[in-house]
Amino acid sequence: MTRAGQHRRRALAALAAVTAGALTLTACGGGGDDGGGGGDGTVRILVLKHALTGPMSDMAWVDQIEEAAGVTIEWEEVSADWDQKKSTMLAAGDIPDLVVGTNAITNGDLATFNGLFEDLSDDLDALPNVTAMFEEVPATEAMATQPDGAIYSLPSYRRFWPETATRQFINQQWLDNLGLEQPTTWDELHEVLLAFKNEDANGNGDPNDEIPIDWSPAGDAGFGYFQPSVLLGSLGLPISDGGGAGYFVEDGVVKNFLVDERYREVVAFLHELYADGLVSQDVMTQDYSAYQSVARGDGDTARVGFTWGWAASDRVGAQLADQYAALPPLRANDSIAESDLTWSYDSYSLNYGVNSITMSAQSRNKEAALAVIDAFYDQDISIQVLWGDLDENITKLDDGSYEVLPPADETSDPSTWKWTTTLADNGPGWIRDDIDVVLPTDLAEAVEQSVPLEPAIANVDPTADIFPGALITMSQEDLSTISLNDTGIFGIAMQRWATWITEGGIENDWDAYVAELEGVGLTQNVEIHQRYYDEFVASQG
Amino acid sequence: MTALSPAPARSRPRTGAPVPAARPPRGHGLRRHVRRYWQLWAMAAPAIAFVALFAYVPMYGLQLAFREFDFAAGLSGGDWVGLTYFRQFFDSPQFWTLIRNTVVISVSTLVAGFLAPIALALVVNQVVGRRRKKFLQTATYLPHFISIVVIVGMLQVFLSPSSGLITRVAEMLGASGGNMLGASGFVPVYVLSEVWQHCGWNSIIYLAALASVDPQLYEAARIDGAGRFTIIRHIDLPALVPTMIVLLILNMGNVLNTGFEKIFLMQNPLNLGVSEVIATYVYKIGILSNQFSYGTAIGLFNTLINFTFLVVTNQIAKRVSSTSLW
Repeated sequence: MTRAGQHRRRALAALAAVTAGALTLTACGGGGDDGGGGGDGTVRILVLKHALTGPMSDMAWVDQIEEAAGVTIEWEEVSADWDQKKSTMLAAGDIPDLVVGTNAITNGDLATFNGLFEDLSDDLDALPNVTAMFEEVPATEAMATQPDGAIYSLPSYRRFWPETATRQFINQQWLDNLGLEQPTTWDELHEVLLAFKNEDANGNGDPNDEIPIDWSPAGDAGFGYFQPSVLLGSLGLPISDGGGAGYFVEDGVVKNFLVDERYREVVAFLHELYADGLVSQDVMTQDYSAYQSVARGDGDTARVGFTWGWAASDRVGAQLADQYAALPPLRANDSIAESDLTWSYDSYSLNYGVNSITMSAQSRNKEAALAVIDAFYDQDISIQVLWGDLDENITKLDDGSYEVLPPADETSDPSTWKWTTTLADNGPGWIRDDIDVVLPTDLAEAVEQSVPLEPAIANVDPTADIFPGALITMSQEDLSTISLNDTGIFGIAMQRWATWITEGGIENDWDAYVAELEGVGLTQNVEIHQRYYDEFVASQG
Repeated sequence: MTALSPAPARSRPRTGAPVPAARPPRGHGLRRHVRRYWQLWAMAAPAIAFVALFAYVPMYGLQLAFREFDFAAGLSGGDWVGLTYFRQFFDSPQFWTLIRNTVVISVSTLVAGFLAPIALALVVNQVVGRRRKKFLQTATYLPHFISIVVIVGMLQVFLSPSSGLITRVAEMLGASGGNMLGASGFVPVYVLSEVWQHCGWNSIIYLAALASVDPQLYEAARIDGAGRFTIIRHIDLPALVPTMIVLLILNMGNVLNTGFEKIFLMQNPLNLGVSEVIATYVYKIGILSNQFSYGTAIGLFNTLINFTFLVVTNQIAKRVSSTSLW
């Protein structure tokens, strides 16, 4: 018995040793070299896709690119957690030949991971389409060019988008039900919202299920589209990209609205609305999908009275969209003239996609990779990358005109369909200024609903009123300083924004808050922005 | 076989000292050690390899905290900047907020998360009837397996100020206690949900300790007229003390390690003032803003504090109760 036991123990130990050995072996194997593109006409492309987008192999334009460039493409498709994957991937220096996706590689990455990306400025001979785009649309060249003249990444240009992402909607049917006029000032809006709250505006018998006003949740890193930051325009303060990090320009001086008196007025006004129970109680804690689904409700009864969104059918669903009217900007009070109003200017983000394609400096197949880049900027391929394959999604009427077809899947809407079938806004490409396109209904709707906002948008001069962040590239040192300061600034600012609106107190806290923000680096950030802005203005002549 | 295995063999690995009587000539210590214990080493080898590979080897990256990260020069090639990044962190306006938030969240989780499983184990141990006991145990430890994302989603749905189930029930009971997802509710919600989720699971180890109590002790106590609480106090609790101390020391080693995923998911602009902790800050600075050196420095600082707590608690436990990890 004892001897048998010993045998068994020995066998176990041997097994353990073998397992241990196997473990170490696998660990070593994992570290082995599996990177590097094939040298035989294969180009490896990492593509950042929208969560809805189907596999690359289903897109017919991919074959056209392969044919035009004479290569085979190996796709690596990423549609989630790119931020986390990216850092480790870049730090390890292991990237495929090309990275595709709007701002997948940011200017910050280009600066931090200096040497990882190919400088395309000396390869422009191999990129005739890109060179032509730089000539026709000079802003694209400014976006691509680093302070030292290098070009690591190319933008896309798609031209047909409206100049703002945020449109303002009010439920016209509710106004009619209650016999009210469209509001034109903040006070009138307040009155209208009170009526929405107190009465059964949607006529379903329940006077308490109306949400008078709702907006898209602000994150903890600044402002964005569909948020009440557009109300700054009611006081004539020009913003871009829904507010972003808050920088704007006034008389050649860069400022940040987070410490501007006009921001304080907007927050105070929003608190008045909140205190009267007019704002959705979930406005600070809901996520974007909740914000979208609440407004769509059950599809028959509207829930939200006044809101901001991309287009009515996207914001409240196709069934309810007819109830809503696009509303011009509001004046804060009677002392503001209609001609002073501004609105968020977003054209740089909507009509351009910065850093949409980036090439690895270690690419073993440089010519092939360059050929692929150039193919993306071809006229026919660009439009297919944006809206989907010819014949299935687009009809080519003649050499210079196209028609985007309604979704083949009737249960889908044009916007969803676009994101499902192709890279859409995430892809590189150049939509020529001289071609005619019959736009899909979602885009046509957005353009149409922007009309009331146009005078206010025209009041914003993209070079004199907003900080043209898209056209300015900064050094790594300045980017680091700014992003470090921003973490502190927004840690304070966004929390105050939320607290002041829900609980009030901005009047008492304001001075201390301004001092606090300036102390955590806002002053320094404004100075850096000012320096780059001055250089930019000087370079514009 | 167990009965036949000689007693000294069992104690040998623990003392690590050779049996004096069998001492062979000097000079062959290592070879003899290997010959005698190689089976044990072989069994421990996978664990040793694992720890070495995933805990010690990556430590060479720590030098990043003292260097300015330069991608072109590689992990160890940046300029040596000494304690610059540590100073930057200590001087940062965020420093005290981060420390305060981290300590508040972790200490309250530590205390509640330490006491609740003990209480639960004592209660479960008192439940009469095998099936009822098993049911209670299973019901309390099942939440442990719910993913954090789902837990946070549940919290957001139940606590929503407009339509949340819990908010509505609280309203019916007359409590109009603000927004539970906001700043005031963050710490209680975090700690209570954490306790609810892991209490049952963590009590298993205490139940095991209670199961090993000699039934004779209970019988003797009952004959002496001890009631239920006296038994818990004088038999159950003393039986749990060694386990409690070991777990406490291990938990102290994580005192500044708050649950990153859960806090990050629970963050919103309203509660950012109390929910920004070192772990989420490192993520935002280090990963999202590519400040690798600064992020590493903060992470290292965090680890050093944890390590200090672990050592100090261990020394105190050693003095006070003679139970310790080493």
